[in-house]
Amino acid sequence: MSGASAPPAPAWSSAMLAAIGRLVRRRAEFLLMLAALSWGVLSEAARPASWRRTVRAEFRRTLVQAAGGGLTTTVVTAVLTGLAMVAETLYWLGVAGQGQLAAPILVTLLVREITPLLIGLILLGRSGTVVVEEVGGLRLGGQMRVLAALGIDPFLLLVLPRALALAVASFTLGVVFALTALVVGFVAGSLLGAVAGSVWSFLDQVLAAMRAADFALFPAKLVVIGLLVALTACLTGMRAGAGDDMARLLPRGFVRGLVAIMTASLVLSLAA
Amino acid sequence: MAGGAAILQLRSAQPASGECDLPPVPFDLELAAGDLALIEVRSPAWAAEFADLCSGLMPLRQGSVSFLGRDWAAIPETLAAALRGRIGRVHGGGAWIGFAGTDLNILLPQLHHTRRPPAALRDAAAELARGFGLPGLPLTRPGALSASDLARAALVRAFLGEPRLLLLEHPTKGQFADLVAPLLNALAAVRDRGAAGIWLTGSDFVWNDRSFPATVRLRLTERGLLRLRLAA
Repeated sequence: MSGASAPPAPAWSSAMLAAIGRLVRRRAEFLLMLAALSWGVLSEAARPASWRRTVRAEFRRTLVQAAGGGLTTTVVTAVLTGLAMVAETLYWLGVAGQGQLAAPILVTLLVREITPLLIGLILLGRSGTVVVEEVGGLRLGGQMRVLAALGIDPFLLLVLPRALALAVASFTLGVVFALTALVVGFVAGSLLGAVAGSVWSFLDQVLAAMRAADFALFPAKLVVIGLLVALTACLTGMRAGAGDDMARLLPRGFVRGLVAIMTASLVLSLAA
Repeated sequence: MAGGAAILQLRSAQPASGECDLPPVPFDLELAAGDLALIEVRSPAWAAEFADLCSGLMPLRQGSVSFLGRDWAAIPETLAAALRGRIGRVHGGGAWIGFAGTDLNILLPQLHHTRRPPAALRDAAAELARGFGLPGLPLTRPGALSASDLARAALVRAFLGEPRLLLLEHPTKGQFADLVAPLLNALAAVRDRGAAGIWLTGSDFVWNDRSFPATVRLRLTERGLLRLRLAA
């Protein structure tokens, strides 16, 4: 063994490694906190003691805001999707003499991919930003500390009901979206003379084209996306620092929510 | 002190350094049922942190803080939260959830910690509100209320239910002198029922009032809590 010690690393490389380390730590910290919050929501939701009337009231309020408030946007988007995608698919496959492929293609594109993605975006825009504003406002105003002083766990009052309400709203709006898009697409396709038969036989074909895994994937994607939209928004609000304001928090929450939606959609599609 | 079992007990409670602005010295205080401590503290931050210390929200370097005979550091968080539901507190720095009505803000701790019917809570809150000079339970958002009405609403929230300890951070800040008499009446009523109170004040008007019914007068300084007597 040589007694000579290794030469010290140049200062610029240390600084670069430190910067990379800080970035990785910060990103990993957010992901780990997201995982911890998800586990917390699942475990606390199963405990009846968590569902005090204040928590139930917050759940109802958020569900009405997310599902009720997002219904019109969902239906309008579904009508546009039905006209632009479903009717076009039925028409051109009919022209090409490949009408029998319509149901499998619609299941793959509309049910498995487009619906969860668009519902995630609608929820993020209509409700995720509201959650960032509410939770971030409480954090910046010091009211989180006040809630703790009143003996009210901010996680129970703010995070748990919002996460579950957005998960339920996501599933509800997803079902409304898929049904509306299919029915509107069928009606438009019928008017164009691209399809024959009743709407029931068309829906039957779509159902028959779904694999067993699709019946699990569709609700799983919607529920997970709703949950992630709420949790990324809550976490963004709860981690607001002294130098933050709404002008910084809202775009940050939106981008994080967008990444969470895309990642969840991709991972679940690959897993199915 | 009035004697009897301690409601609040600070035994050489020294806040962990770096966790707060309070001086890192041991604090000693014992309040029994019926006691009212008037503490002069000029810094609003110190007042809030001392109230946090009493509520078990401040990490300690040494010593202990007990409420109703329970050491905050030795009990599970769920029990600590339930016990904090027995503390009525007026927060100095504004403590309102902006997206909820003032009525819900007032009722929230009782709705969370008790099973009293909402109608009964509303009736009790409305009665307290009238006692503090409001026409009834305020329904608008906190942001729509004047500072004077918010101060009264904060008192309604603190006194609602059956608090065993009242932590009042500058409750008459803003020179709402007409609030002092109803506040002292309300304090007398809860003290008769076995509660204790801490009134943290930076106001000369309150501090120099010789008729103020404090059982102990203290000053929060860099050296800790100093026991004082009014000059003759």
